[in-house]
Amino acid sequence: MSTPARHRRGALAAILVGALFLSACAGGGGQASDDDAVPASTEAADEAAADGGVEEAAAADGTCAPDEITLIGQVRNQTNPYEAAWLEGGDAFAESVGLEQQKLTYDGDSQRQQEQIRQALAGGDLECTVLNVLPNGDADTAPIVVAADQAGAWLVTQWNKPAELDPADYERWVAHITYDGVESGYLIAQAMIEAMGGSGGIVALQGVLDAVAAQDRFAGLQRALEENPDVTLLDDQTANFDRAQALDVTRTLLTAHGDEIKGIWAANDDMALGALQALEAAGRDDVAVVGIDAVPEAIQAIQEGRMTATVSSDGPWQGGVGLAMGYCAATGELDLASVEHRAFFAEQFLIDESNAADFADPQLDLAEFECGNVFDRATGPVSP
Amino acid sequence: MTAPDVVRQRTAAATTASAPSGGPAPAADRRRAPRSAEAVQTTASLLALLVLAVVFSVLSPQFRTLSNVVSIVDAAALLAIVTVGITFVLVLGAIDLSVEGLIGACSMTVALLVANSRTGLDLGLVGVLATVLLGAAFGLVSGLVATRLRIPTFMTTLGVNAVGLGVATLLFAGVRPVIEDAGLRAWASQRVLGVTVGSYIALGAVVIGWLVQRYTRVGRYAFAIGGAEDIARLSGIAVERYKVVAFAIAGAFYGLGAVLATAQLGSGVVQAAAGVNFSAIAAAVIGGTLLVGGRGGVLHSMIGVLVLTVLQNGLILTGVSPYAQRAVEGVIVVVAVAAATWPVRHRLGVVK
Repeated sequence: MSTPARHRRGALAAILVGALFLSACAGGGGQASDDDAVPASTEAADEAAADGGVEEAAAADGTCAPDEITLIGQVRNQTNPYEAAWLEGGDAFAESVGLEQQKLTYDGDSQRQQEQIRQALAGGDLECTVLNVLPNGDADTAPIVVAADQAGAWLVTQWNKPAELDPADYERWVAHITYDGVESGYLIAQAMIEAMGGSGGIVALQGVLDAVAAQDRFAGLQRALEENPDVTLLDDQTANFDRAQALDVTRTLLTAHGDEIKGIWAANDDMALGALQALEAAGRDDVAVVGIDAVPEAIQAIQEGRMTATVSSDGPWQGGVGLAMGYCAATGELDLASVEHRAFFAEQFLIDESNAADFADPQLDLAEFECGNVFDRATGPVSP
Repeated sequence: MTAPDVVRQRTAAATTASAPSGGPAPAADRRRAPRSAEAVQTTASLLALLVLAVVFSVLSPQFRTLSNVVSIVDAAALLAIVTVGITFVLVLGAIDLSVEGLIGACSMTVALLVANSRTGLDLGLVGVLATVLLGAAFGLVSGLVATRLRIPTFMTTLGVNAVGLGVATLLFAGVRPVIEDAGLRAWASQRVLGVTVGSYIALGAVVIGWLVQRYTRVGRYAFAIGGAEDIARLSGIAVERYKVVAFAIAGAFYGLGAVLATAQLGSGVVQAAAGVNFSAIAAAVIGGTLLVGGRGGVLHSMIGVLVLTVLQNGLILTGVSPYAQRAVEGVIVVVAVAAATWPVRHRLGVVK
């Protein structure tokens, strides 16, 4: 039987292991290490928040020497090929200017993202810090923008932003890069309809239903359907951008509609690949499957003729150009006042059998990261 | 009389229930009551399944087709394997929240060990076995940490879940390994009598799980431990050791589930089992494997697996809007759990 002393030892051990697991919870999700990226302490964070305004004045004109610049890339996690490629693009740019990218991942946790930003913006010399950030959701963008602006750090955000927030209103918010989801959904729908010969039944796999990206992409499909009255939407279901769910849902839809299904439109490649697996398990190879994101596996499937098309936002470019824009602003090579639209839609590329080989082994063109070219891919302003 | 004797006697005597029934009753005069309550409960679970099947059959002509039955069986395979595993833990009165992390790690492992697009390895079945063993090792860690350091399983398995996801992410390293092993791909695509090979493997797993639970010491002691841990300990059962073994068995089943999920998805995926942990616990509870421990069993849990799979299938076939599906599913799960546990609610005591 246990003595009180043993109880105490046991409790101590329990606390130690508990702490171990908590830190495992905190650090287990992404391989990018948060610890070595941000050496600042919490007290420093508070200080910086208090006198951030003073520091802002120090180098507001942006005259950092290249070797003084700190480059930070932040994404959700590295468990999907897209965001992993994004960080690789950031690494490639950093290497090209003789620096290193600090990589932060927050596992899709808004709280954790804010905490990482707070830590990154603690301490001095922030006027030479560049952040290329993927905000977790629209609501997360505003606090990041305000924190960076007050601390005087250069910020580029991508994908998520509330409509009323505009980089033009902030001195340090260099740009917001996003993609026209309606256009993506429309492009792949057209490719699918063409592969089907212009008529037949299709099913749609939607993303997370309350996500703006998912809604926009579906609106693009609906636009394509209006233009092609011979194509009927047999069913639309959500698979939450998830491959396993898409497999299950497609299996059921194949039972429900059988041979009527000639095309499957998925709001991302992961779901398209899940649908492809369900089709292969059912012995169907006559269905045109399209997705969005251009993950390597999808490009391979397109090359092999198993999948029809996908759309690329070019993750490596996003990871690189965000840092490049901030870098150019920090060194003073880029005058933000000269840029007309700093919140813009970037060019996206339809990948089908004809050009899949070019995208299978993407080569980053470092010329696109030169200060005069960083805004070259803008196709138009984000309408408020 | 020792606890295992009680269990054996009760198992032999049980004619109404198809699986080993609850833990040893403390006194002879109380033996009859729980057994009949459990029979009622099994009937309630089966009734819930039947009601769903009838309602969907009426609402959707496609639901009644043979090809849809095949589709339901194939869709249930993964959840069945995972639920067999989690039943071993739930019967102890413990909980397991490590399923998703563990399957993520095992999915990447098996994808990298068999013929694939990333590593030069081609271990085939050896790779599959190694993955099942890795799952068991993860389970072993959960069990050891929980019993030796006396940390609630709720916390330890959450930790192991995070570790599993971390390991999976490291193995993933930005590039998905695509399965090229024809044998493993066949689990998802090869059909025998209309049903995929994977479904037969799931059936095999259910049978093995049932046999282990019914005829081995670890299976039977689990009911005794879950029913009344103090009494089991006083009877001389090495409670800690059997708990650890039960977690390891559960882990092995998750490992096998990971292999099936990977075969179905065609490549190693970190999120191969997103949402499966909740579904498995819900399935077990609907079937009558209660969270308080000592009740239910593998076959009971399988009723719950069918209820959930039929529900997901039927909601799509009957054309329920995807916007409403989640909510409808949630309501039906709660109702099914309430119906399944109604006959024994007075025995559940405090609900936390």
